[in-house]
Amino acid sequence: MEFPYGKAPFWILVMAIITGSAMMLSRVFTSAGRPDLVFVVFAPRHYDAYLKLIPEFERKHNVKVQLQQVHQRPLQTRLQSALLADTDVPDMVEIMNPFMGAFMKGPLEDVGFVDLTDRIKAEKLDEKMVGSRFSIWSSRGRIFALPHDVHPVALAYRRDIIEQLGIDVNKIETWEDFVRIAHEKIVKDLDGDGIIDRYALDLSISGTSFFPIVLLQRGGAYFDSQGNLTVDSEITIDTIIWYIHQSRGKTRISFPAGEGQPFYKALSDGIILFNFVPDWRSKVFEIDAKDLKGKMALMPLPAWEKGGRRTSTWGGTGLAITEKSKNKELAWELAKFLYLNKQDFSDRFALLNIIPPLKEAWELPAFQIEDAYYSNQKVGQIYAELAQETPPDYVGAYYEMVDGKTREVLVDGGVYYEKYGNDGLREFVTQKLKQKAAYIRKVMNRNVFMRETELQVTDANASKENAG
Amino acid sequence: MKHEKYRAYVKRTPYLFLAPYLCLTCIFFVYPLISAFMLSFQQTNGPKSRAFVGLSNYSFVLTDPDFHKAVTNTAIYAVFSIFLQLPISLGLAMLLNAAKDKTKGFFRLIIFSPNLVGQIFVGVIFSVLFVPRYGLFNRFMQSLIYWGLENRWLENPTLVLPAIIITALWMYVGFNMIYFLAGLQSVDKSLIEAARIDGANPWQVFWNVTLPAIKPVATFVVVMSTIGSFQLFELPFALLKGEFGPSSSGLFIVSYLYSMAFRAGDLGTGAAVGWILTLIIMIISLAQIKLSGTLEEGK
Repeated sequence: MEFPYGKAPFWILVMAIITGSAMMLSRVFTSAGRPDLVFVVFAPRHYDAYLKLIPEFERKHNVKVQLQQVHQRPLQTRLQSALLADTDVPDMVEIMNPFMGAFMKGPLEDVGFVDLTDRIKAEKLDEKMVGSRFSIWSSRGRIFALPHDVHPVALAYRRDIIEQLGIDVNKIETWEDFVRIAHEKIVKDLDGDGIIDRYALDLSISGTSFFPIVLLQRGGAYFDSQGNLTVDSEITIDTIIWYIHQSRGKTRISFPAGEGQPFYKALSDGIILFNFVPDWRSKVFEIDAKDLKGKMALMPLPAWEKGGRRTSTWGGTGLAITEKSKNKELAWELAKFLYLNKQDFSDRFALLNIIPPLKEAWELPAFQIEDAYYSNQKVGQIYAELAQETPPDYVGAYYEMVDGKTREVLVDGGVYYEKYGNDGLREFVTQKLKQKAAYIRKVMNRNVFMRETELQVTDANASKENAG
Repeated sequence: MKHEKYRAYVKRTPYLFLAPYLCLTCIFFVYPLISAFMLSFQQTNGPKSRAFVGLSNYSFVLTDPDFHKAVTNTAIYAVFSIFLQLPISLGLAMLLNAAKDKTKGFFRLIIFSPNLVGQIFVGVIFSVLFVPRYGLFNRFMQSLIYWGLENRWLENPTLVLPAIIITALWMYVGFNMIYFLAGLQSVDKSLIEAARIDGANPWQVFWNVTLPAIKPVATFVVVMSTIGSFQLFELPFALLKGEFGPSSSGLFIVSYLYSMAFRAGDLGTGAAVGWILTLIIMIISLAQIKLSGTLEEGK
């Protein structure tokens, strides 16, 4: 045999054929062993918990379930891209709030997830679970995921220092009380070097995570239940101004402690005394700031007015079934098995301090246990009581954009406040917020698919009115 | 007859071997390129819904204040890359080139080593260094000039871009230095000697002998730095924890593309941004090459 270009290209060709065939064969073998359900989660602790539960479901139904774990950001982008490109997707996925909105860009029939509304209503889960939690997973009145949690927010505080300062947290009923006490007793330069050594609250000046908490608690929202933009309301303006006052300038009561080690150092050093802590974060504190065991305690959020709501919400996970799944009924069974499993509620609470949305679960003994970390308070009971008044948080396709733009107003308003004080601050914030809202509406109106849906809805309403 | 067959076989063979490469290029480069071009005139929502929107995506991007902000931030970053990063790289390269002892290799490794770790890693590290009160960078500034302990580098809109530039400086100075060092080592020593004998001072030697000699390398580094600056994405993304900084102060053109295509799910607008970015890079790179006169010299 002759090799006009030498033997090397021939062997490259041979290797290409062998590796190509091996890849094809491996694909054939893999597809032969494909499980009945592929379930992707992003939280490592959920993964561990489900890994223990799934064998029982597999035995019961004589099926095979493959559990995968992917970080939430790539999970969202990969799933979004896979749904857009119509390629292979898992049967079930756990999605983190507020990323569900990104999948709701088009008409309802184009959403890549199964509409669970009728199934949820048939099982009366909308009554058995905290109603507001369905808001995160809904679009235009239809529900596309089963809520995993409630995530009510409390304030976790340094009980040891607060008691030393003679503060009675039971007397802090409103944010007005909180700010007054912070100024009177907490915010201090302890060593006289001109640098404040103790602040009341952890607040980022860009409003990341914290701004939506206070906005929702106050009754504000980025969207309403029908997906209409509601961010440019008086409540948002008032909340932005309040947030600026507490996080900027010389009279601020907060310190931006950040996250990770710097945050826990600030907490341990007593630089910040109060923190927004939803149920899941209360366990993170226990794990990451062990030395504060017995020195911490929980209290409801101060209300915006006397007798008002004492909680908010931060985060959330939901389980969605993809439209492309070939085993939708089996997937729904698994979803119920995992999300309505009483034993798992207890284990989950012991492991993560997470309050399930199913109200009857709150009576379980696991939720009545005293927690030594939080000065022997019954953490489960505290969060369960707050869970009932958790506000709804409607998401939409443009949620991240709205959150970003609102926080831009917060930052610009903060810069303005540091320069000019309160003079003209309200007008400045109002004008900026209106500008941003107009921009978002312009972007939303560019979405030809949503426009078509709205037109259909409008047409349907017009027909009904005509018929009436 | 047999001979002719053999000749035809030999003639075909190179194309057969080229075929895998050409196939892959067509699948992974030519097809996406054409597809992205078509996509830039459409709005999509999954495989079922596609709508032709003409130049709407382009007109939206070109009039979008966020895009203007992204272009401004990218341009500022690119200017600092060229006028701050590259002179420092050149200075370090000259110092190392002049050094004669054995520590030369050691310092070369030390200065280059930040580039051995990825942008994500560097972003994560610097996000901790820039923490108010506890961040090493803040503490260093406080002990050096009694300023900066409470600086919120990544939360203050006026400090975000400087923070990104400082991080990039640490990361890329060593990388560009290696190119300059290679260029300097190829400069004809006899020319420098001759200039010195003729009475040229160090600055004159640098300006009239060294710099013209390393001009092709310098042009290459400037063009590559500019392209790299316009493609900046991972470093600010990691530094700002997946956000674009307060008031979009850390928004760059590729971040804007990412946010449009993958966060807002608007692939058409993302594709339009991609084509606008390609055009910007092409124009600037050609202008740089033209201004430096490298092409003419090569003829």
